[in-house]
Amino acid sequence: MTFKATQIHGLIAATLIGSGALAFSGNAFANDSSELEALRALVQELDQKIRVLDRKSEIAEEKAVTDKKAAPVIKANSSGFSIESADKKHSLKLRGQLQADARHFFGDDNPDINNEYLLRRVRPRFQGTLFSIFDFDINTDFAPSSAVVQDAYVNARFQPWFQVQGGKFKVPVSLERIQSGNDIRFTERSYVADSIAPNRDVGFQIHGDVLDKKLNYAFGVFDGQFDGQSNGSNRDNTTNGNGKEFAARVFANPFKGDGNALDGLGVGISFTRAHSNDLAVGDSYRSPGQRGFFAYNAATVTDGNKTRISPQAYYYNGPFGVLGEYIRSSTDVSRGARSAKLDNDAWQIAGSWVITGEDNGFRGITPKNDFDLAKGGWGAWEVALRYHQLEIDSDAFEGAAGVRFAGAPNTTTNFGQNTTEKAQSWAAALNWYLNKNVKFQATYEQTNFDSAYANIADREDEKVLFTRFQVAY
Amino acid sequence: MKLSLSKLLIAGAFALAVPLSAAAKDITLLNVSYDPTRELYTEFNKAFAAHWKAKTGDNVTIKQSHGGAGKQARAVIDGLQADVVTLALAYDIDAIHEKAKLIPKDWQARLPNNSAPYTSTIVLLVRKGNPKQIKDWDDLAKPGVSVITPNPKTSGGARWNYLAAWGYELKRNGGDQKKAQEFVKKIYANVPVLDSGARGSTTTFVERGIGDVFISWENEAFLALKELGPDKFEIVVPSVSILAEPPVTLVDKVADKRKTRAVAQAYLEYLYSDQGQEIAGKHYYRPTNPKYVEKYAKQFPKVNLFKIDDVFGGWQKAQKDHFSDGGTFDQIYTKK
Repeated sequence: MTFKATQIHGLIAATLIGSGALAFSGNAFANDSSELEALRALVQELDQKIRVLDRKSEIAEEKAVTDKKAAPVIKANSSGFSIESADKKHSLKLRGQLQADARHFFGDDNPDINNEYLLRRVRPRFQGTLFSIFDFDINTDFAPSSAVVQDAYVNARFQPWFQVQGGKFKVPVSLERIQSGNDIRFTERSYVADSIAPNRDVGFQIHGDVLDKKLNYAFGVFDGQFDGQSNGSNRDNTTNGNGKEFAARVFANPFKGDGNALDGLGVGISFTRAHSNDLAVGDSYRSPGQRGFFAYNAATVTDGNKTRISPQAYYYNGPFGVLGEYIRSSTDVSRGARSAKLDNDAWQIAGSWVITGEDNGFRGITPKNDFDLAKGGWGAWEVALRYHQLEIDSDAFEGAAGVRFAGAPNTTTNFGQNTTEKAQSWAAALNWYLNKNVKFQATYEQTNFDSAYANIADREDEKVLFTRFQVAY
Repeated sequence: MKLSLSKLLIAGAFALAVPLSAAAKDITLLNVSYDPTRELYTEFNKAFAAHWKAKTGDNVTIKQSHGGAGKQARAVIDGLQADVVTLALAYDIDAIHEKAKLIPKDWQARLPNNSAPYTSTIVLLVRKGNPKQIKDWDDLAKPGVSVITPNPKTSGGARWNYLAAWGYELKRNGGDQKKAQEFVKKIYANVPVLDSGARGSTTTFVERGIGDVFISWENEAFLALKELGPDKFEIVVPSVSILAEPPVTLVDKVADKRKTRAVAQAYLEYLYSDQGQEIAGKHYYRPTNPKYVEKYAKQFPKVNLFKIDDVFGGWQKAQKDHFSDGGTFDQIYTKK
C-alpha cells in the first residue's frame, strides 16, 4: 500500500500536533512557545525529508525512462535470439539449424552402403546489421568431418533496388538451392540444385527488387564452381585463370499482391558463364541417396566455355504448391586430341499439399495450431511428390577408353561408377511441422539408372527412406 | 506597343520559370542546447523563422533538445544529428571535436566573443524572507543549510556552480586549493538531491519546495521570480561569482550532410543581431552587444566576476582537475 507524500505529510503533522496538544494540556504555560517552535522545526525537517525522498524517486523514474530509451532491446522468440540498439541501427541475431537424419537403404547389394544415422546440418548462424544498411551473415556448419563456413558475406542495402553483396554465398542459379535448407520439402534437393547448379561460391553481386518488388534481379561475378559444387567443400574449385564465372538471374512475381489466383506465381531464368582451359573437369553427380555415380576421366580438361541456363517457376495457392525447374550445363571439354561440347541437363517437378489447410509457400509453412496434446493442436501436415531426372550427354561415353571423356566404367558390381547416362527419381514425402521451428520429415525416394553402355547392365535401383528431425530458428 | 511572338514566348517561359524556381523550401534544424534555455529558444526560434522567411521565402522549423550540457554533448558525439549546438561551456563542445570530429578544432574562433553571443553568471536563489540568512557562498557550507545544485558530471551549469564556489574560497583564503576543496566538500555535504541538469534543480527547489538555497544560473533565478512571483523567492548576489560564457557552434559534418549549413550559420549569427540580443536580454541572459549591455544594465545586478581562464587555467584544465574521473568532485562527493 503506498501513500502519497501529501498524505504522509498530513499524517505526521496530525500525529505531532496531536501529541503536542496532549503534552501541552498537561504542561505549564511557560514551555508552550519553545515546544511549539521545536515541533514546528521538527515538522519542517520531516517535511523536507519526505520531499527529498519523493524527488529522488521522481528523478530515478525519469532516469529509468531515459535509460530504457537508450537501452538495447534483447529478444528471444521463435525467430531466434537477438539484440538490437535502441535506435534500431545495429543488431545481432543468433540463429541456428540442426538436422538429424536417418537413412535406410532397401534391397541393395552394395556392401559399402550402410543404413546410417547422421547429423546432416549443424549450423549456428550469426546475422546482423550495422548502421541500418550493412547486413552481415556468418553461417558455419559443424556436420561435415571438418567444419565449413557455408556463408560469410556482407550485403549493403543502399536502396531496395540496388544492393551490393560480397563474400561467400549461394550463387543465384537454382530456385530450389535459393530456398532455405529449413524449408525444402524433401530431405535432399533435386538433381538440378544438388548436382548441376553451383551451390555456394565466393564473389560479389549487385541485386535488388524493382517494380514494386515484383521483379528480383541479381548479377554477380564468382570464383567459379563445377557442377553441384561449393567453395570450401571437399571437391576442387574451378579456378578460371584470368576469367571468372558470371551469374545472372531474374525472377518475377508479376501478380504479387493482386489478391487473385495468380498471386503466388513466380517465374524466372538464370544463367552462368565461365571460361577456362586445361583444368580437370570436376563435374560429378550423385544420387538422392548421396552416392556418387558419375565423374569425368581425370584427363578430361576444360577447353573453353562452361555455361548453364535454368528456367524456373513456382506456384502457390492456398495449401497447394508446385515448383519446377530445368537446367542445362554445357561444357567445352577435350581429352588429348579429341574435343567436344557436352550438354548435361536435369529437371524436376515437385508438388506439395498441406493437408491441414495452412498456406503453402516458398518460404515454408507455419502451423495455425502448434503441436500441443493438451490443447489438441496437431501442427501442420504436408504431403509432397517429386519427379526429377539427370541426363548426361551420350558423347561423354563415346570412344575407346583412352579418349573417352567419362570416367572409366566400374563393372565389377552392379552399383559401379560411371556407367549411368540417365538417372530418374521418384520421391514421396510426408512433413510434420510441429511449430514454426520444429519439423519431422520422411522422404522415400526411388531411383533407377540407365546404363550408357549396351554391354553394361543398369546400375541397381536405389531405394532409400530418409527421416529427419529438424530444429531451426 | 506591338509585342513580337518571340518576346511573348520568352516572357511566358520566364513567368513559368520564376514560380518553379522560387518554390519555398521547408528546412528543419535541430538545436541541441543545455537545460535552462527552453524559453529563450522558443522565442528566438520564432523570430529567426520569421526573419528567414522574409529574407529567403523558405520555411525553417527549429527543433529543440534540452538537457544537461555534458549529456547533450555525449548525445551528439553518439550520433544525435544536431545542426547546431548551444551548450553551457566550451569544454563540452571541444569534446564534440575530439571524440567525433564533427567540428573543426578552431570552432570557437568562428563567431564573435569566442562564440558566446550572451553571457551569464551564478547567483543564489533563496526563499522569500531568506529564513536561513544566506548572504554569500560561505553560508552554504554551514550545517543545517540545504543546498540545491545539479550534478557536475552531467550538467554544465553545475560545473559553473562548483567552480564559482571554489573560486570564491580561493580568493578568500589566498589561493589554498586544499581549503577550497574542503569548503566545496562542506557545501556538497548539504546537497540532498543531485539533478542531472539545471532545469531539474529548478524543479526541485521551486516546484518541489526542497532546499534553502539554490545555486542557480542567473537567468533561471530571474525566471523563477518572474513565473512564481517575487513574493516567493529572492535573489542573493554573492560577493564574487564566475563569468559564464555559454558558447554556440555549427556542427559542420551534420550540417553539410543535411545541406543546412547556410541556414544553420545564419541561425547562429542571428543570435548576435539586434533582435537576437534583445531576446537574450529579455530572457535574462546578459547580451554581449554593447548597445544591449547598456539597455539591460539595470536588469542585472552588479557582480564581481572572475574568468575561468584566470582562476582555473581554462576549461581543459578545470575539467581534468575537478570533473573527470578521480577529480576533486569524485573525491568530495559521496552518493547518498
